[in-house]
Amino acid sequence: MKSERPNVTALPKSPIVLSIIQRYGLAVLSVSVAFGVSLVTERYNFRAEFTPFLLAVAVTAWYAESGPGIVALIMSSALFDYFFTEPRYTLEVSASDVPRFVVFVAFLLLITWFGAVRRRVERELRQSRDDLENEVTQRRAVNEELAKRSAELQAINKELEAFAYSVSHDLRAPIRHIAGFTELLQKNSASVLDERSQRHTTMILESAKKMGNLIDDLLAFSRIGRAEAHKTMVSLQQLVQEAQSEVAQETDGRNINWKIGRLPACYGDRSMLRLALINLLANAVKFTRTRPQAEIEIASTNHNPDQIVVSIKDNGVGFDMKYVNKLFGVFQRLHATEAFEGTGIGLATVQRIVHRHGGRVWAEGLVDGGATFYFSLSKSQGV
Amino acid sequence: MSNLGRILLVEDDPKDVELTLTALEEYKLANEVLIARDGEEALDYLYRRGNFATRSTDNPAVLLLDLKLPKVDGLEVLQQIKADAKLKLIPVVVLTSSHEERDMVTSYKLGVNAYVVKPVDFHEFVNAVKELGIFWALVNEPPPGSVKKS
Repeated sequence: MKSERPNVTALPKSPIVLSIIQRYGLAVLSVSVAFGVSLVTERYNFRAEFTPFLLAVAVTAWYAESGPGIVALIMSSALFDYFFTEPRYTLEVSASDVPRFVVFVAFLLLITWFGAVRRRVERELRQSRDDLENEVTQRRAVNEELAKRSAELQAINKELEAFAYSVSHDLRAPIRHIAGFTELLQKNSASVLDERSQRHTTMILESAKKMGNLIDDLLAFSRIGRAEAHKTMVSLQQLVQEAQSEVAQETDGRNINWKIGRLPACYGDRSMLRLALINLLANAVKFTRTRPQAEIEIASTNHNPDQIVVSIKDNGVGFDMKYVNKLFGVFQRLHATEAFEGTGIGLATVQRIVHRHGGRVWAEGLVDGGATFYFSLSKSQGV
Repeated sequence: MSNLGRILLVEDDPKDVELTLTALEEYKLANEVLIARDGEEALDYLYRRGNFATRSTDNPAVLLLDLKLPKVDGLEVLQQIKADAKLKLIPVVVLTSSHEERDMVTSYKLGVNAYVVKPVDFHEFVNAVKELGIFWALVNEPPPGSVKKS
């Protein structure tokens, strides 16, 4: 991660702090220089008036603050009065000197005020620089922590991936063997097996197949968590049609009335959303099996401008709202396996897909009164 | 002729070997199968090294290759075969338990001729192996230099 260092080096680390002697020394020095300059300019008949003294006062007030500024003012006034105003070489103050004195004082106040403002601004800048530096240090610490966590998570993810891979490969092989050899046993030794034993071999076969399905579903479920989502604009209308034809093989010879409303496009991973819809439609088809006339309705309810809500409603066996929070858990089933087959991963997969799209999934149902599943998706790319 | 087989089955699991042979038996193809227990043995056979130094120069008509193998794994075997001018004509079929997209994509990138996931269901497994055997050993016309049905 790149840490951005704000450019704070323009200001000195600590302000130039003059000692008290240096400050008053500056007053004396600057007034002396002003006095010298005035003497020299006067010798060449170039009257600079009191400009050098003004500068002396200004320099002192700017760099040494008000105390030395006042000293410089008094010294300048005295020297100017004594050496450069008529009558010379006396400290007499005439009425005509008053404006000059007022200018001196006004100038001093102005420069002192400027200096104060400058020092305040400097102080504030230093303060914000320090704050900024603190923040940068803190952020750097946070970033380091984040990078560490991210590396840890990546390692864990890798491990999980290796685990899933191993499950995929190593767990399926023995199941295939169990199923295969049991089948061979059934085929070749049917004559020597009594009815009970034949029933047992059938049970072994069924269990092996079920285990195979469980592993496949679980792998598909874990793949959704690991796979990168490739999001594009997806037409839900088209996806529903695809999902419908996918589940069509289960609906042979059944009387199902499909009602598919107008569905908008949304932004998401096509294959994941397709899988979610297949799971939801397959559920609707499965749990309406006991109905002579099945009704399945897919619609989009759209009250929020940023969100799409899709509902899948059926008139099947429904469920008890008491168990609604168990509906989307992995391996959670609300019906006996004999009545409705399944591994209990379908709705967990749906939930994981919808969550990966920043949406929400929920359901309403009534025992023997049908069920409605809803999921929300964001319309724009903002997720 | 004992060293000759039209199908080279590279498979480490004896149970899988037996199931595969059982499936091929139905079409009397089991006798045409030669079994390598790991990737190294498969490569030794193809390159006529070690135990196979004296075998005839004909290549098998098809290679059925498991991916997870001891010593040299299936993808490495595939890579070596397809990188070798003399061997790359041999059709290679990956026959694996792995559903992982990664394995499939890598296999195709390396130039595999077919990729088959072993079905858990025995009937499907038998059908898959049978069809593979019939197609590659009987129907398909193998490249020159392969064992021909006499």
